[in-house]
Amino acid sequence: MDFRYSPEEEGFRSAIRDWLHANLPPGWGTTFREPEDEAARFAFRLDWEHKLHAAGWSGVAWPREHGGRGATLVEQAILQEELARANAPESVNIIGRNLTAPTLMEHGTAAQKQRFLPKILSSEEIWCQGFSEPNSGSDLASARCRATIDGDHFLINGQKIWTSFAQYAHWCFVLARTNPTAPKHHGLSFILVDMRSPGITIRPLVQITGDTEFSEVFFDDVRVPRENLVGGLDRGWRIAMTTLTYERGPEEALPRQVRFRRDLDAILERAAATRSDGSRVADDAAIRQKLAASYIDLELMRLGGLRSFSRVIKGETIGPEASLNKLYWSHMYQRMTEVAMEVEGSSGALLPGDADAPLDGALPYKFLQSRAMTIYSGSSEIQRNIIAERVLGLPR
Amino acid sequence: MNFDFIEDQYLLRDSVRAFLADHWDTKKLRAAGGRFSADLWQGLTGLGLQTLLVPEQHDGSGLGLVDSVLAFEEFGRALVPGPVRDTILISEVIARFGTPAQCAALLPAIAAGTARVAFAHAEPGAGHRTEPTGVTATSDGSAWRLHGRKILVPAADAATVLAISARLPDGRAALFLCDLPAQGVTLTRNIAVDADSMPCRVDLNAAPAAVLGVDALSRLLETSAIAAAAEMIGIAGAALDLAVAYAKQRTQFDRPIGSFQAIKHRCADMLVALEAARPSAYYAAWAATEDAPDQPLAVSVAKAAAGDACRFVCNECLQIHGGVGFTWEFDVHLYMKRGKFLEYSFGDATWHRERVAALVLPARAA
Repeated sequence: MDFRYSPEEEGFRSAIRDWLHANLPPGWGTTFREPEDEAARFAFRLDWEHKLHAAGWSGVAWPREHGGRGATLVEQAILQEELARANAPESVNIIGRNLTAPTLMEHGTAAQKQRFLPKILSSEEIWCQGFSEPNSGSDLASARCRATIDGDHFLINGQKIWTSFAQYAHWCFVLARTNPTAPKHHGLSFILVDMRSPGITIRPLVQITGDTEFSEVFFDDVRVPRENLVGGLDRGWRIAMTTLTYERGPEEALPRQVRFRRDLDAILERAAATRSDGSRVADDAAIRQKLAASYIDLELMRLGGLRSFSRVIKGETIGPEASLNKLYWSHMYQRMTEVAMEVEGSSGALLPGDADAPLDGALPYKFLQSRAMTIYSGSSEIQRNIIAERVLGLPR
Repeated sequence: MNFDFIEDQYLLRDSVRAFLADHWDTKKLRAAGGRFSADLWQGLTGLGLQTLLVPEQHDGSGLGLVDSVLAFEEFGRALVPGPVRDTILISEVIARFGTPAQCAALLPAIAAGTARVAFAHAEPGAGHRTEPTGVTATSDGSAWRLHGRKILVPAADAATVLAISARLPDGRAALFLCDLPAQGVTLTRNIAVDADSMPCRVDLNAAPAAVLGVDALSRLLETSAIAAAAEMIGIAGAALDLAVAYAKQRTQFDRPIGSFQAIKHRCADMLVALEAARPSAYYAAWAATEDAPDQPLAVSVAKAAAGDACRFVCNECLQIHGGVGFTWEFDVHLYMKRGKFLEYSFGDATWHRERVAALVLPARAA
């Protein structure tokens, strides 16, 4: 057991820190504000992705044959940690880089890898995920969006929903039904769809935050070349499950924990600065218990992430245990944002843009955002089923 | 960066687990009826457990808490009663803070399994305070005498030495050692939730004692909290196994109850609570071994997390068993009671959360 990093790893950390210091916009983290308009904000973040790529920080841990630097997993984690620590702009290429790319590396043809991976690495092409449908949420395998074979093309008809970045994406990986008579898990295919194809309609959905980060996507006789099939006809469920494990992995938990830590630090500072009935909120025994509970929750997330990560470094696979991490952090962060609002009292209801909002309403905004965490990428109920059946072996 | 144990540390865990599986199941625990088991003690001596924290120059293994924490977890899993844990932990503070004469007198005997040490700390009516107030130490210039009452001292009546926390005349709290039997020391069993932990009342009436020091007590309180956290992780693991096995086998409405989501989701939440708390006990053991700057924080995180997790898992385990979980015959209560005993030892979750708050909140403005 050893929590120190090697001199090479510390060198890697300094390099990314120095680069961030030199390349983030002046006043980043203090006076600089990202654009308020969503499209302008997307453009700003996309520009940041291009800068990361130009400096060689995109996909550092990818194998060299795919244009990566072959960095170690530890270096990859250090990079993500430092990006989180600097509160660097959010990635808009996260679905392409973290989901499409590893799925293609594992299941794609040589031609697919050659066609898609370089443009994911460079953020020239942005991806979205076409899994959920209005009637196929937790029961994903019941997806009804159809892909019928028409010569050397698929014809796709149906609807996807909760599609993040759809309005900006160039490509979408779609889970579509190619065999309606087979049992539901055996009739799906994993198909790469060009979002500029005729027949695609995107209708943004307004979230409880007021943002329109996700959309409904309608497919009406959309023609897709058959070479865009990944992993064999009717074999899509297995591919989709691979994709989901990348979504819940420990590589992702460590940097997320660093972002949460920034929020907790802000909450602790607000508790020390805010007065209620003449004394500091931070001196209230009941609030102190809740603040400490959040600190402990987050420390457990950090330690759990480090432990899983140590297993990954040794070449072990995490498998269904990844559901434990996701279930844990989603609920703990929701609790933390509730404590944040409690610390502020009445002012906790003020949202970004209000002149009197503490920290420009960042924490109440995160409270609203965090409501999605226990639903997306497998709801808590689905995670509990996975844990009970596949980790504990309880009967179906 | 490696948050994992090394091969030898896992080997020790495996040998302790294998030994306890053969020699200390709940049948044996019940048969012992709260009496000291010489067989168990000798078996653990045979595995070298009492040597773990004794330096090599005193016939020990010279290892650290990181090497021992998995053994403590196994003690919890198998409900091993005192005084093994206390003996191991106290050997470390004697080695660190004892005089050469104290080391020479006690450490080889501990390593050989002939000395058994019990830690007397809790006091009646003292709440969760970790600072003793009810037992005082007086000195006539040449020797110390202790006065007052301790409670819930595990296996004090099987010990050859008591380690006792007491207040010095200057108000600070320190650790003392008292050889047994001794004039002025009266031992009685407490009637308590977990009789299997052999809880004793210790009445001190001008009991003779040697001082080990203020820092020795601080250290022992931290390491005891870590060991208790690890034991609670072991207990929670055993209780979860029990619950899952029962949920697979018990049939109602023509189905195993484990196929109902009400039970499945409960079990999943139990595993999440346990696995979230687990690394905090390991990390605290590492921090204490390395004397890391964040050691007090790490200890409080672990004790609070393990206490909450153990309580949750044991309570749910009983609920999943239904009526039989409430019977003396089923083992559920054995785990729940040991967990309860440890939950309130060395500061409970609320006490440790307050310590976390004090450590992480910006200090009050001057």
